[in-house]
Amino acid sequence: MSELTQELKAKIIAQLNLEDLTVADLDDHTPLFGDGLGLDSIDALELIVMLDKSYGIKLSDPKEGRKVFETIQTMADFIEANRT
Amino acid sequence: MGKQEYRIQTYCTIRSRSIRVNGNRFFDAEPSTPLGDFLKAAYRELAVDYPKFHKMDGLCKAIFIAAELIARESGPYERHTALLFANRSSSYLSDNRHAHDIFHADNPVASPATFVYTLPNIALGEISIRHQLQSENVFFIFDHYLPEFMVPYTNATLEDSQPNGGSALCGWAEVTEETCDLLLYRIGTSGQLTHSVEQLKRLYNEEDE
Amino acid sequence: MRDDVYIIGDEVISPLGLGSELNFQRLRDGHTAIAPVMDMRLRDHPIHAAQMDGNPWNQLVKNASHYTRLERLFILALQRLIERHDIPLDSETLVILSTTKGNIALLGDPEGTFPEQRANLTAMAEAIRQYFGFENQPIPVSNACISGSLAIAVARRLLRYDNRYKRAIVVGGDELSKFIVSGFDAFQALANEPCRPFDRNRSGLNLGEAVAAVYLSTKPTHGAVKIMGVGSFNDANHISGPSRTGEGLYLSICEATREAGGGMPDFISAHGTATAYNDEMEAIAFHRCSLSAVPLHSLKGYFGHTLGASGLLETVMAIHSLKNNELIRSLGFAHPGTSQPLNIITQPTRRPLNTFLKTASGFGGCNIAMIIQKV
Repeated sequence: MSELTQELKAKIIAQLNLEDLTVADLDDHTPLFGDGLGLDSIDALELIVMLDKSYGIKLSDPKEGRKVFETIQTMADFIEANRT
Repeated sequence: MGKQEYRIQTYCTIRSRSIRVNGNRFFDAEPSTPLGDFLKAAYRELAVDYPKFHKMDGLCKAIFIAAELIARESGPYERHTALLFANRSSSYLSDNRHAHDIFHADNPVASPATFVYTLPNIALGEISIRHQLQSENVFFIFDHYLPEFMVPYTNATLEDSQPNGGSALCGWAEVTEETCDLLLYRIGTSGQLTHSVEQLKRLYNEEDE
Repeated sequence: MRDDVYIIGDEVISPLGLGSELNFQRLRDGHTAIAPVMDMRLRDHPIHAAQMDGNPWNQLVKNASHYTRLERLFILALQRLIERHDIPLDSETLVILSTTKGNIALLGDPEGTFPEQRANLTAMAEAIRQYFGFENQPIPVSNACISGSLAIAVARRLLRYDNRYKRAIVVGGDELSKFIVSGFDAFQALANEPCRPFDRNRSGLNLGEAVAAVYLSTKPTHGAVKIMGVGSFNDANHISGPSRTGEGLYLSICEATREAGGGMPDFISAHGTATAYNDEMEAIAFHRCSLSAVPLHSLKGYFGHTLGASGLLETVMAIHSLKNNELIRSLGFAHPGTSQPLNIITQPTRRPLNTFLKTASGFGGCNIAMIIQKV
């Protein structure tokens, strides 16, 4: 599990251009949106693209997306459960 | 009624790998430095905390840096500072990236973060957010820098905006894969230089010392 | 005193047909250009869009093969407008082009029949200049979805302040392409059905393609309309999402109204793309301006979102509403779907009309409002 969260952190930093952050800076349970990391709506769409491209999961319901992308951990859990 | 005369308050150029404000060097890099690295290094030199910078494309980064330097030099922008910009290639950098993503990549997938930058006026949105500017934006496309058009249009814009303000930030920002040809200048009712075609041509053609 | 600027001619080419009058008639009859389109060049699965037939009206353009599809459409609209009004093409005629992406279909497309360099907007402007022999280089304005209305505002300003110009032609357009479709798909902005502006079940926009043009002059003619006021302000909020308080649009409407000398428009032609956020933002802005009771429509249910054409196209149709004293209903609307109420036009309605407000908003946080009145 922690291998996936590490992988996700690296992917997110690269995909979302979070240049000032390292994998070590990202906590598994920090909220990605809102007060935590402060990602925005375009970041959310990029994460959807990443889920599809890297893990073969298609997410089209934005409400589902909100829950999936709450934290690194929730993302990893979702990917484990749904990856193809 | 006397005609209002407008002045150039501050200007910034980014030419090749050299950034100057009012003719004075701010930052330089080796000419062989890739554009992305140069702009990132200039951002670090700016020492401003603005993580969204890293999401921007080359066109937006260059305009962001120049707009930041101008504000540093002559003070925060007025809320209604009109943004009047032009270039030749529109949003070519991002256009090319998006086209690559959808036509040539091994796994063709569009990136929303790339697509959003496939409009030249996004750069104006970025500096509007940074400097909290609620103002007119316009992005023209010219074959080359055209002060003959920009000067009268800027003056007319300033005349029209009299009830709200009397300042503008104008720019020629031609940024391609490896080149940067940028001149940004702030116009107001006071300033060292006359806002004229001749003056702007002089600034645009200023040679390196 | 600055001269007043009038719109004394117009032209439209859309999937509904050739000509402003024909297009307006189609709107009156409730025809939409939006249909399910299966075109592998755009997307590998169907898309609801307003697409023109393959190579429309080629025979009307001289040396058609020298011009891209979009250029031919621009040329045809210009040709018809110029011929109908006998417009001189000399140094006193300003020409402004509005487009968001121009010939972008040439970029990276293995089937492109023109060099990629033609995707540059100055190359497109030059091709159009050469066709007509305009003395002035047509000036492209590329400012997201407000480009069409903004181009009118730019021309108006130059006619008022720059005595080199006596008249202006403003033409705008965009065409469907994989470039554009894939981008809006990545934004999950596209509806899988005909769009529903302002409706509670709206699920996104439909893309469309069209070209529209207006002829501006400081001298009114019979049937002219006057541009009474313009306002344009950025939200300073987000590069792709509109301000939740409709700040920029609110300021734009206030300024346009101030310049127009106050008063209320008889109807509003809104941007109304049918995305969740845009329509909500517009409703808030209209409410803040005390315009909630003014009859309102979006024409995107007929034409789709035509990007660089939309401001021009929808303004032209609104002008025809004025001339015909007929409100066009807002196609796709059934139930209120915004937090602030709006007076959506649900039936074609004949009544005396003198003034309308046109609004547009675009990526980058830009907004524009324009008030136009019968003379």
